[in-house]
Amino acid sequence: MGHKRVQGISLFRLLGMVTIVGLMWLSGGLSAAASPDDLVLSGQHSLTLAQQGDLLIAELRCAACHGAGDERPDAEKVAPNLTLSVRGLSPEYLKKFLADPAAAHPGTTMPNLAGGKTEAERAEIAESLSHFLVSQSTAVNPEGSAESDATGAVSEGRQLYHTVGCVACHGAREPQVESSLTAKPEADREDDEEEDAPPAVVETSASSGRPIAFSLGHVAAKYSASGLSEFLFQPLRIRSSGRMPDMKLTRTESRAIADYLCGEQGQKPEHPEPDAALVARGRQYFRELNCAACHAVGGISAAAPVVSLWQADTGRGCLSGVSGRHPEFLLTEPQKDAIRSALKRGPAKDTDQDRIAKTLTAFSCIACHVRDNFGGVAQEYNDYFVTSEKNLGDDGRIPPPLTLVGAKLQPAWLKKVLFDGESVRPYMATRMPQYGVSNLGHLPEILARTDIPERPALSIPSPESRSESEREREKMLRTAGRELLGDKGLNCIACHNFNGKPAPVNRGIDIMTSSQRLQSGWFSSFVRNPGTFRPRIIMPNAWPGGIAVHQTILEGNTDLQIEAIWYYLSLGTSAADPSGIRRINTKLEVGDEARTYRGRSRVAGYRGIAVGLPEKISYAFNAETGTLSSIWTGEFISVDRNGQGSGGFNPSADPIMLAQDVSFVRLANSDAPWPLLPVMTKDAKVNPDPLYPKNQGYQFRGYSLESLMIPTFRYQTGAIEVEDRTVAGKASDRLCLTRTLRLTTQDPQELWFRALTGEITAESEQVYRVGRLRLRIPAVRTKLRPVQGNAGSSELLLHLEVPRGSSTMEMIYEPL
Amino acid sequence: MNRCRTNGTQVLFCLLLGVVFGATSAIGEEVGERWGTEVREREYYPIVSLPMPADTVIEAGAFAVLPDGRTAVGTRHGEIYLISGVDDEKPVPEYQLFATGLDEIFGLTWKDGVFYVTQSCELTRVSDTDKDGRADRFDTVSDAWGYANYHEYAFGSEFDAEGNQFVTLGLSESYYSHALYRGFVMKVSPDGKTTAFASGLRSPGGVGLDEHGALFYIESQGPWNCSCSLKAISSGSFHGHPASFEWYPYAPELGPVPEQPKSGSRIVQEKQRVSQLVPYAVVFPYIRMGRSITGFSVNRTGGKFGPFENQLFLGDYTLSVLMRATTEQVNGVWQGACYPFREGLSTGVLNVEFTAGGHLLAGGTNRGWPVRGIKPFALERLQWSGRMPFEINRITIEPDGFRLTFTKPVDAVTAGALETYSLTSFTHPYHGAYGGPEVDRSAIAVKSVSLAEDGMSATIVVDRLVQGFVYEFDLGRLRSGDGEELLHRNAYYTVNEIPSALGSQSP
Repeated sequence: MGHKRVQGISLFRLLGMVTIVGLMWLSGGLSAAASPDDLVLSGQHSLTLAQQGDLLIAELRCAACHGAGDERPDAEKVAPNLTLSVRGLSPEYLKKFLADPAAAHPGTTMPNLAGGKTEAERAEIAESLSHFLVSQSTAVNPEGSAESDATGAVSEGRQLYHTVGCVACHGAREPQVESSLTAKPEADREDDEEEDAPPAVVETSASSGRPIAFSLGHVAAKYSASGLSEFLFQPLRIRSSGRMPDMKLTRTESRAIADYLCGEQGQKPEHPEPDAALVARGRQYFRELNCAACHAVGGISAAAPVVSLWQADTGRGCLSGVSGRHPEFLLTEPQKDAIRSALKRGPAKDTDQDRIAKTLTAFSCIACHVRDNFGGVAQEYNDYFVTSEKNLGDDGRIPPPLTLVGAKLQPAWLKKVLFDGESVRPYMATRMPQYGVSNLGHLPEILARTDIPERPALSIPSPESRSESEREREKMLRTAGRELLGDKGLNCIACHNFNGKPAPVNRGIDIMTSSQRLQSGWFSSFVRNPGTFRPRIIMPNAWPGGIAVHQTILEGNTDLQIEAIWYYLSLGTSAADPSGIRRINTKLEVGDEARTYRGRSRVAGYRGIAVGLPEKISYAFNAETGTLSSIWTGEFISVDRNGQGSGGFNPSADPIMLAQDVSFVRLANSDAPWPLLPVMTKDAKVNPDPLYPKNQGYQFRGYSLESLMIPTFRYQTGAIEVEDRTVAGKASDRLCLTRTLRLTTQDPQELWFRALTGEITAESEQVYRVGRLRLRIPAVRTKLRPVQGNAGSSELLLHLEVPRGSSTMEMIYEPL
Repeated sequence: MNRCRTNGTQVLFCLLLGVVFGATSAIGEEVGERWGTEVREREYYPIVSLPMPADTVIEAGAFAVLPDGRTAVGTRHGEIYLISGVDDEKPVPEYQLFATGLDEIFGLTWKDGVFYVTQSCELTRVSDTDKDGRADRFDTVSDAWGYANYHEYAFGSEFDAEGNQFVTLGLSESYYSHALYRGFVMKVSPDGKTTAFASGLRSPGGVGLDEHGALFYIESQGPWNCSCSLKAISSGSFHGHPASFEWYPYAPELGPVPEQPKSGSRIVQEKQRVSQLVPYAVVFPYIRMGRSITGFSVNRTGGKFGPFENQLFLGDYTLSVLMRATTEQVNGVWQGACYPFREGLSTGVLNVEFTAGGHLLAGGTNRGWPVRGIKPFALERLQWSGRMPFEINRITIEPDGFRLTFTKPVDAVTAGALETYSLTSFTHPYHGAYGGPEVDRSAIAVKSVSLAEDGMSATIVVDRLVQGFVYEFDLGRLRSGDGEELLHRNAYYTVNEIPSALGSQSP
């Protein structure tokens, strides 16, 4: 398309895909549509001509100068906070914009206030105003600034722009690219081979407008990348009216999009130091032109209102099309007609439905959501709505309909979604924007009033006041509900995550959030026939024609089954898992550095410590007794993350088990029995010798992570301080552990170290074997003796004569 | 999961954290009524979710605020994260993984550049000696207690004025004391010397100092505890559950074994007989005020968090709510009141902490026990919106009644009417069965009320004050000077002692 002038408004084309025409307002919420000659607003809205006029009056903030009595619309647009914004703008752009707003930013809602002046006068006004505004402005918000991530930022910005929802209101800038969010998340997801989901074409009976597409053509000239980044991170700080909502971007994401949008023009010169004389003149212009009617700057108050909107002569002033002392808005004729129509009708007497429709249009909710017969994703943008769960179909990628949303969501949850950024659809790339309580605060109450569920609520008797029969019935229903959800029932958990545990097939909304979010009456209607709520939903109908598919549970009674599911869901996250839910065991992996993990384990006791070495050999240390108690090769450990008693670990491979009693003992004589860890049984659970390790002189002192994060354990045995460090090595080409014990004492000590127990064979004086383990010991006096009362079992004791000062001994553990 | 014993009509399954989350049958459990105040509360104390890095599980168990303003969180997975930016207007915090591989962190304190971490197995000093941002030295400060069952959780306090820390040790399987010192409070001196300090604990949920610097811990509903409560710990005190008597022979510093309490009695009677028995300081009526209350933190934000300076804020695991409590000492015994504060958190709250910026950070998980919140784990920040809620600020006892302060001036007509102060009193049995009913309930007549000139407080005289009773306030009829209803109409004062008219109240 070429470049031509129509009524002073440029027709132009965004890069790439979408042709945008007409009047576009970046900051404001409305964009004109298909042809400036016939449409007032773009988007699939449902508003009458006069209602569109109402919206324009609110967006242009006509009442700021005219006054409108008490008849102010919901969420009237508020002008940007110039104190916060100006320093983020290009100095050149600022002057150009002040001199002729629409020339700098076609489609802006900012009127030309100096239309009657000469070009030179306008330039002088703009120069003065810009000095004044800079003098009134604050530094860039440090919280919002993020350094550019240099390489990759632009492509990340491009990707974000085309997935998080910018496209819905600003149009695409490039052909759709394959998003990482559309990629298959796992290779083993079976039934994933299909093609793209069918397009979600908007099927509404709303006005067949062009897609909403607020131009961003001016943005690269307007902002420095850092200024734009700051704005995108917290748009409501500067533009509190929420037409540009908070897209829940991180600082890095904001910067990436800013880098992408600014392209090579990201650097902008600093504003010159404000000149006192120009500041003074600027202040004067600011007052004279009544900028304060919309912008709060420098404590300047607005002029008294001119003639009330409802008494205004629609042939004169702003709507006259003639330059003069009034603000000039570059409105199309249909837009003027709409305003005239609204003014002629007088103050709007909106029904709740009208207010909802206007709000959803003003904030472009209709760019993503269908409600009743209006709104929805435009065909042109459809491909930019993507998901990580392709098999969920359109419901995985297109924001949900708002039809009956006031009956669907619980009031507290609706507020959390609207104002707290809560979301239950992590798979959906498009984000639910945040518009601020001051803009949408009126909406939840109106929706709750307007949207009435078709079916009555499924009320559950209070646990504090229910009768015995109600308690019995509740128990029966919950049992049935649990069965229905599980893999032997309707298998809802195949496609719904359950209490944070991912579903095996499609990872749809966590089903156990349902009772916290949804109203039971809506739920009851929805599950009876999901397809009537969402034509392309993949959720099957479990009660087609009102007949239960599952005939054995609750005798196939449809109403009871649905009630049972709600009873069960109402347990929320406290519900017990239905059949088919897998346990979560987290595998801990070892990378380039060692990993030390404390937890209970059968291989190391309650004060167990697992150590994984990068060479893929691991051991366990019982810190209660100071004993190396287990060795294995291969993967490290899996940790139980289920239920209350989480944190226990298990070796990921079959471990070699060693004794867990204390390792160092001062035996009265060489025949004295080795003192053993007290044993508790199911019948005798109380520890009969609770000070056992300490009475043997043992005290754990902790550990240090040294090179490659390999731990050195520190403990005391009697008067000896022990440092115990084990590293990986090779013995006969096999992985082994080399354990070095460094013993420090102020006085010479004699004591025994028990190196092995079990069916021990001596391969040489210094090499012993038990089961799958070969142990090389230092050249010290040893005693291999049978273990009393345990036929065939023996224990290998080393007699240590520890000299004053520090000495070391080394042992090599070789798994076979 | 363990099946708990049958108690009258309640078949309860149990567990933890003192928690006790009653009845977790094979199907699960309805966790109880709501206050119904969430939508109003958010106008005054909005909740801001703190996003976490993708694929990161942070089940907060303990917090510490560092001198540089960062917040440290210790997790049930045994990790310590240092978080920057929790106070940002739009928080996108940065998480630095400082330490890993510890065992269930339920105590975290920062002192002189190192962390003191209470984990199930020990109290550990964790430091970063080479200053690379990762912990590399773990020194065992104390492991003086037995640990032989997963339910044997350990909670650690901050340091007291003398540099001591206190560790509360939950029972074995939440009922018994199979391992050394389970059910005790241990005192760990600055040199690491560990001594037994108090006994009779069941399933503690947090331990620390109140606004007066006195030591309290949170106890959970279960045997010998019909409701959750805040309990005042003193040297040698016994807190009601006799399972830990097993270990007095190993703790001569505690003195003789207390008399065995008689099940089915009342705590006021038993404390006459069992001299070491300390009554619950603040009872949290079951379900109305939580089902498994957990960690607490004192509001010392200098007004940044609104009107409740110096009060205790504590979480509840099951109901995902936050509550307030105030304490006072009368005749040498601690007592006080609790008040609803905020519901609608996203997960079971295990701990709370005030941040450097004066916000209240709450975190936890829903793993293991019934929880109302919808997220498996979460970190959330509560902040004061700047709007003043109309609330009961604090209730204190008088020789013949109570003094109530408010956050806004009250309307003289409703506040001056006796019927505005709807009071009932009740007590609990003191028995070995699991949980128990509220008994001996009766209406309390208000004989007179006098309002302060500024309308910020009211003093009421009641027809009787009885030791060992909880006084339940319902001020639904009260209006503020500008016609507002109370945000929360209820409060609960536990009367252990009654001050004399001459004034023996302290401090």
